[in-house]
Amino acid sequence: MSNNKVSRRQFLSYTLTGVGGFMAAGMLMPMVRFAIDPVLQKSEGGDFVLTEKKIADITEIPERVDFTFEQVDAWYKSDITNAAWVYKEGDQVIALSPVCKHLGCTVNWEGDPAHKNQFFCPCHAGRYEKNGQNVPKTPPLGPLDQFEIRENDGFLEIGKAIPNTLV
Amino acid sequence: MHWNGKDSAVFQAQKEYIDTAVIPLIVIDGSEHGFPFAASAADFTLSLANIIENQFKGRIVLFPSFSYTKTQDKQSLLEIWKEELAKADFKYIFFITSDREWSTMGDEHDVIWTPSVPLDSMDQKMRNSVLEDQLRQLIPIFAKKWAN
Repeated sequence: MSNNKVSRRQFLSYTLTGVGGFMAAGMLMPMVRFAIDPVLQKSEGGDFVLTEKKIADITEIPERVDFTFEQVDAWYKSDITNAAWVYKEGDQVIALSPVCKHLGCTVNWEGDPAHKNQFFCPCHAGRYEKNGQNVPKTPPLGPLDQFEIRENDGFLEIGKAIPNTLV
Repeated sequence: MHWNGKDSAVFQAQKEYIDTAVIPLIVIDGSEHGFPFAASAADFTLSLANIIENQFKGRIVLFPSFSYTKTQDKQSLLEIWKEELAKADFKYIFFITSDREWSTMGDEHDVIWTPSVPLDSMDQKMRNSVLEDQLRQLIPIFAKKWAN
């Protein structure tokens, strides 16, 4: 018998090793998959939504920018429109959440003629400075949330709400 | 606040701040030419109610819409609602509707009448901007009542 021929004994042992390897892999793969599951988890809410607002058009005066995303509630899909108050501080673009920290109403920029340069909540006369800092002695107990933002091809993209970093 | 379990817990805890009830009034019309018009008006009123809720979330409770037919007595409908909601300590009760018949009943009943805009053919963006415009006109009405 020449060397490059496979004997019956060799053939059987190769075959068994091969099949055994597949079986072992079949058992181990799900185990490994379960063990490292947290790493594979997709992060929710970190997605950025593209708005129609050009970065170049943003001024120092807060302006309302709407952005729409799809929300899935069980089998019911709906488009949710959310808004942000966007302005420029120097070169930095700032997007503040319009949701009042008191009970969740929507705040308006200069909504009260008596208080210029402030956000105003019409529900209980809560007020915020331009940077989102709540005015003491009004109902809100914390500053307005901020949105993560980034630029995409000259347009503004808005991400998830984070605690205010300006105050 | 919406009329649901989660928001009602907040309502119970924050009663001093949440003092206003909003009830959309929807007319049901079975007649051939009135049917599509009433349906479109209902769509508008409900969308408007939702945007009002979004604006004034922390002060109002938006109730499920109240539907009635033309023949029902409007006056007594209002009285029954007011009587029941008074039990929950609401200081202000607003009804919003696009049914023209309410507009003749006057201000003292807190019925806010807004002419219906047919939203059916509009895309989402257009709808929103129409509703935002309506909302902007309603904010002073609410503010005025609250100031009294």
